[in-house]
Amino acid sequence: MITGVNPTRMELLKLKKRLSLAARGHKLLKDKRDELMRLLLEIIDEVKEKRMAVEKEFNSILEMFVISKASMAPFQVEQALMIPSKKISVSVGLKNMMSVRVPEYSKEVSGNIIPYGFLNTSGDTDVSLNRFDKFIEDLLNLAEKEKAVQLMATEIEETRRRVNALEYRLIPELEETIKFITSRLEENERSGIVRLMKVKDIVRSH
Amino acid sequence: MEAKIAAFGEKDIMLIFKAIGADVYQIDRSDNMEYAEGKLRQLIKEGYGIIFMTETIAEKMDSIVRQYSNRVSPSIVIIPGPGERNNYAVRQLRSAIIRAVGADVMAEGDNKKDRSNRWQK
Repeated sequence: MITGVNPTRMELLKLKKRLSLAARGHKLLKDKRDELMRLLLEIIDEVKEKRMAVEKEFNSILEMFVISKASMAPFQVEQALMIPSKKISVSVGLKNMMSVRVPEYSKEVSGNIIPYGFLNTSGDTDVSLNRFDKFIEDLLNLAEKEKAVQLMATEIEETRRRVNALEYRLIPELEETIKFITSRLEENERSGIVRLMKVKDIVRSH
Repeated sequence: MEAKIAAFGEKDIMLIFKAIGADVYQIDRSDNMEYAEGKLRQLIKEGYGIIFMTETIAEKMDSIVRQYSNRVSPSIVIIPGPGERNNYAVRQLRSAIIRAVGADVMAEGDNKKDRSNRWQK
């Protein structure tokens, strides 16, 4: 119960308004939570599969790259890749998913991934770089999805807390206070009537 | 909005990111992590939108990675590092799910059984 509240009609009306608002908010937030949960469960399996695929692919590319690097002199690879000719610019957009703002990446690619001449470098380097080139798309896609999962998880947690606070704290508290005020008002009314009857009795007996 | 791409990690892996035109920062496992953390914060301030990071480094900078995982930007993408795997990214994902759902939805076969058993008891 809210302490220090005056048992008056004004207060009662105010509380009733607050209660109906809280009930409406509770319903809306609950719906939001359920929908977010549905969306999250929908993408979670996809993200997990993607993660596994990306890690596997990246490892195999890396392995190839490192082996090819080992077949050349250490400085040669560094020299070959010193000035990259490829430029990826990623533009970030925002997508709204149930009021959660999720980033969306779209990339623009210019230039070739192989910035060196073919003399002095091993063929495996070319192959692994080309594979990596294709792989970047998946990596960005995964980044987007993982971010979405993280952001949605945070939002769900927040919404759940709000729903619970309304359901188990604010709404019962308001209901209890309303009950207290109504019973207090009824009591006042009754005591008024009794006082009146008593006074009438005294007046009549004289 | 344009996003710049940065990559954080061990030397071998950084070379391959350099080829795609990302800004590359070499950190070695033996390096001073405080320096690396400072560098990372600086990069975020400079407005890098996507930061690739190997899991070996990410595990050591767990607090920062967590801190920024709830923001829209930057997106810190964990990639496998050299040597032993530690599944940092999957663990991050899992903890996010547990936070949201209150149960481990991603748990596989055996764990699922355990969970249902627990409810039956």
